[in-house]
Amino acid sequence: MKKLGVLVLGLLLLFLTACGGGEEKTSGDSKVTELTVWNDWTENRPEYKVYKDIIAKFNEENKGSIHVKIESIPHDQYETKLRTQAAGKQLPDMFRVWPGARIQPLVEGKVLLPLNDILDTWEGKIPEGILKDYAVDGKQYAIPANISETSLIYYHKDVLAKAGFEEFPKTYDELKDLIKALNDQKVTPIALGNKAIWPLQSVYISTIADRFTGSEFLPSTLSGKDSFTDENFVKALAVVEELAKLKAFNEDFNTIDEAQSRTLFNSGEAAMHFAGSWAIGPILEGVENIDNIGVAPFPSFGGEGDTAKISGAAGGGIALNAELSGKKKEAAFKFLQFFYGDELYQGLAKSNIVVPVQVEMDDSIPEIYKTANGFAQGGLAPVYDATLTPELTDMINNGLQSITIGEKTPKELAEEMQKENEQGKK
Amino acid sequence: MQLTGKSKAALIIGLLPAFLIYTVFAIYPIIQSFYYSFMEWDGFSEMEFIGLQNFENLFQDPLFWNSVGNNIFVVIASVFGQIPIALFIALLLNRKIKGLKIFRTIGFLPVVLSTVVISLTWSLIYNTKDGMINEILRAVGLDFLAQNWLGDTKWSMVAVCITVIWQFVGLYLIIFLAALQNIPEEVMEAAKMDGASEWVTTWKITIPMIWDTVIVAIILCISGSLRTFDLIYVMTHGGPSHSTDVMALYMFNETFSNLQYGYGSAVSVFIFFFSLILIGIVKKVLGQKFI
Repeated sequence: MKKLGVLVLGLLLLFLTACGGGEEKTSGDSKVTELTVWNDWTENRPEYKVYKDIIAKFNEENKGSIHVKIESIPHDQYETKLRTQAAGKQLPDMFRVWPGARIQPLVEGKVLLPLNDILDTWEGKIPEGILKDYAVDGKQYAIPANISETSLIYYHKDVLAKAGFEEFPKTYDELKDLIKALNDQKVTPIALGNKAIWPLQSVYISTIADRFTGSEFLPSTLSGKDSFTDENFVKALAVVEELAKLKAFNEDFNTIDEAQSRTLFNSGEAAMHFAGSWAIGPILEGVENIDNIGVAPFPSFGGEGDTAKISGAAGGGIALNAELSGKKKEAAFKFLQFFYGDELYQGLAKSNIVVPVQVEMDDSIPEIYKTANGFAQGGLAPVYDATLTPELTDMINNGLQSITIGEKTPKELAEEMQKENEQGKK
Repeated sequence: MQLTGKSKAALIIGLLPAFLIYTVFAIYPIIQSFYYSFMEWDGFSEMEFIGLQNFENLFQDPLFWNSVGNNIFVVIASVFGQIPIALFIALLLNRKIKGLKIFRTIGFLPVVLSTVVISLTWSLIYNTKDGMINEILRAVGLDFLAQNWLGDTKWSMVAVCITVIWQFVGLYLIIFLAALQNIPEEVMEAAKMDGASEWVTTWKITIPMIWDTVIVAIILCISGSLRTFDLIYVMTHGGPSHSTDVMALYMFNETFSNLQYGYGSAVSVFIFFFSLILIGIVKKVLGQKFI
């Protein structure tokens, strides 16, 4: 029996030392500073290739001193994972973040490192108005790589022509006519994938609500001056209800992903697809005839908002872990200065991404990108999930889904949101 | 068993590593959860003690009660779906038939598959446009029976429960088969000699003899269903319109998406006691001593 005890103790010791040994290995080899960057670059998109190529180039140029390691997590899970790790103080050295309300909790939790020391690198290059999307209380936390327009309409020109529309509808009433005409021809009018429940909010409501209420509405409601029960906002929510009732979407829209819905559009089964500028790449890759694809802004809804505007925000920012110091901090700064350089913006523009700096465009750039790029000139309206608190975002996401299946009325959702808005945090 | 002092020491030393690991990874986090449940905490900033406020909010949230209701639905569907089906198949397989091993393997297969694989496969089967179920219904002219299985609040919970049942029948099947094979041959033979019919033998002898195993299976089934998360997370995200939201999913969303770690911990504490009480009642009802 005594022998057994000794054996178990021995095994325990072995186990413990084995654990200790593992740690030593990772912290060794101190010459090369290794930095890990988390992102959601999993889909096969040209801009992700640009990001990865630039990181590869950086690694090549700094061989022997700095190495940047890429870890990719699928988009729909990325932010949850990031927040969970942040709470556990287990963030990697660098990680992709979204602007506005979405970095706010990370900033409040003091897990982000301000970049103000190196901010002059981009001064005069990137407009102040776009930089400030990633700033909180005067401190800059990330540099935008692109401008993400969240509300664009992609359509198959030939399918619309067949339904009697040579041009894309300019008003909501015309759009409804188009939807009816398409339904008559047994073509799915709009490809939508709302299982992850953000598209109806981020893509649809961000711009539709802006058309009805104007851009001042959202900030003034959040600060308590206005209310979500405002008639115009309820009208905007009712648009989603009406579209669902018109059978504007593919039948399975609440059970498929956003990326899956794009396949539906690309294959020509659906005539239109409402998505952000992130869809340009996958659509250009996925369709057979690029010239047949048109892109249009949302129509006018006869509300108070500016019809030239489109919802959008800065995107592609990479933030640094607040715990970086010494050599690692220097290396990370060096990396950001390299990463957000001319090469990135030119590469992105070539991959049809709307960028925040002036880039020369030649004829090789497809029409759809030029058009989408032009929309940003009309001014950007706030994106709902980049502005609302996480609780309100969750509420409107779920609420819109409920509206589409008739479980909730627009008015009920508006009242619910206002109640949450007044209570603030639970 | 009598233990002398020496072997007792050996026993303690033997248990110590497992106990230490269990304490660090299971008991300590549970206690920590209790502590967090009295706090207002977003995961990053300073915690603030708010007493029972979290529980008060919890009990007032209709979405939470919705998730409790859905979860009870899953528990009932699992207990009344998985156990009888598994028992029935086990009784069928418990005789000398050809290919017993093959049937057993087929029955157990879903248990071995990753839940994500199962969820994605069933999502395709349920798809309203080109899923297998609707295609078959349409092919035989039963179009009116085709439903938007996962996208309609009337059917989503049923659809999810069918998948849950399908996934775990195999597990209980194997447990019951093992129990059935432990019934002594003599008892069966005696029954036969007395002229008991197949039906009477099953109800009067076989099932009473494995009744303890059935109770264990029911308890495993309840506690498993109370924890259910991954399958629903992948299949529906709790949607549409919260119709498939269960307690664990509600807790996950409140904690990690809405960044309310204190509130989420309160939900966990509730699930903990809820499960404990429910299992206690079931054990009492089924006539076993609790703990």
